[in-house]
Amino acid sequence: MNAPVDATDLATLSMTEAADAIARGEITASALLEACLARIEAHDGKVNSFIRLDREEAREAAAAADKARAAGKPLGPLHGVPVAHKDMYYRAGKVSTCGSKIRRDFVPTVTATVLERLDAAGAIDLGTLNMAEFAQNPTGHNAHFGDCHNPWNLPYCTGGSSSGSGASVAARFVTAALGSDTGGSIRLPASLCGVTGLKPTQTRVSRFGVMPLSFSADNVGPLVRTARDAARFLRVVAGHDPKDPTSAREPVADYEAALTGDIRGLRIAVPQQWFFDGADTVVVDAFEAALEVLKARGATVERISVPSLRAVTAYGALLSRVEGAAIHANWMRGRPGDYSIHLSARLFGGYAIPGHLYVEALSRRGPVLRQFCTEAFGRFDLVATPTLRTRVPTLAETDIDADPQNWSRFMAVSANTRPFNYLGLPVVSIPCGFDDRGLPIGLQLAGRPFAEARVLRAADAFQRDTDWHRRLPPLG
Amino acid sequence: MESDLVQPTIERIRRWSGVECPNAAARHGLSDFPPLLAELEALRGTLVFEDEPSSFEAALQAEKEKTP
Repeated sequence: MNAPVDATDLATLSMTEAADAIARGEITASALLEACLARIEAHDGKVNSFIRLDREEAREAAAAADKARAAGKPLGPLHGVPVAHKDMYYRAGKVSTCGSKIRRDFVPTVTATVLERLDAAGAIDLGTLNMAEFAQNPTGHNAHFGDCHNPWNLPYCTGGSSSGSGASVAARFVTAALGSDTGGSIRLPASLCGVTGLKPTQTRVSRFGVMPLSFSADNVGPLVRTARDAARFLRVVAGHDPKDPTSAREPVADYEAALTGDIRGLRIAVPQQWFFDGADTVVVDAFEAALEVLKARGATVERISVPSLRAVTAYGALLSRVEGAAIHANWMRGRPGDYSIHLSARLFGGYAIPGHLYVEALSRRGPVLRQFCTEAFGRFDLVATPTLRTRVPTLAETDIDADPQNWSRFMAVSANTRPFNYLGLPVVSIPCGFDDRGLPIGLQLAGRPFAEARVLRAADAFQRDTDWHRRLPPLG
Repeated sequence: MESDLVQPTIERIRRWSGVECPNAAARHGLSDFPPLLAELEALRGTLVFEDEPSSFEAALQAEKEKTP
């Protein structure tokens, strides 16, 4: 439980601070919603994080939430807090564009299980958020709805594909947002926008009613301000769903109860391969400083060799490409001009990969995961890396549509996040500093399968001793 | 300089998938393949006859945290 609030701008409260304050009667859901709407009105013209803002429906829902509390009705863990979702979570009867021209008018007939669970927990749905077209870029470009802009510095990338999710939480337009993560699409916008993002273990959260990209690697998770927010959010949305047979039957823990601040004896491994290739000094410095914070709380840190990363990165490069290519084949044949240039270009490469290599990548996934766990978690509890190796790039320097020569800079953005999708491990990205241009830097912490509680405990301990996650973008 | 892999790959995709090369960026993307091919070459021989995709879910369970 959070302490009583004292905020002049209610929109600056974290999701759990706001929910707890509403539950105690210190603030109303309506007042909180109006504070968020005022910020959206003032700043989203520049940031472009929303695709559809359901202003009046949200007002009605907030009023009903306040009435329910006044009547003494039982309150859900997210009662009255404004949230929004990447525009690829289906709500029956509402357009879900998937950030695309092709599905600009698509109206689903089902509602995503995660949206139903958020509704049941009392969250107020504020609308749909900008995203990479079909969740297929790591930068935040969108040719159809306009690029999403980083609230810390507008010409810079938000990260993608959950661009609007990262930007809207950073700008304090909403207290939490749903993102999805197939190669880093939660963790990258979290890192680049200076918020907290959690990719849960593969199969932890239902994907029913969620636009598919890659059935092997798609994940559902939150972008929020704090590890505590992520813990509460995950408990609401996690758990087996009969509508998604791939969702795990693993019991859902009380993740928030695990946030004790005690990380004495926690053993953290830092892989020496891959994650630091071509890294910027300012990023490495912030990463090392973050490790010192964790060590000061009693964690130990050791540099290790992880030979299996070579297989992880090679096989990981195949899965989503092939699966994405298959899903989009009909439109790539019939409507190729309706995709943005970078997306059709990326999808095209997927058709070149031989089927036997795709099957090999799938079949080796289990053995490679076991090998990685032996190497990385045999003597350690967590793996730490920077979320992005470099300083945050600009939208211009990663724009393939403007110049194909930007291809390598574009692809490099997700280099540190992709491996954990092949491995299926739970990973959080938390803010750990700012670069020399005032853009956020992220720390990535990964754990064993279903070790979300331990991952979040470390993230929360870090946030008790730092204030990077509290800083507000200078939107004016 | 474009890799000599590009044009034959474009033709193979057209034949097998019926998808045309959409733009110059797609050609550029195919030029990105040789390093990936080299990495996959290095992994040849690691697939065991009995390996199968369902081993991943089993590994997630087997490798999960014992004392959260």
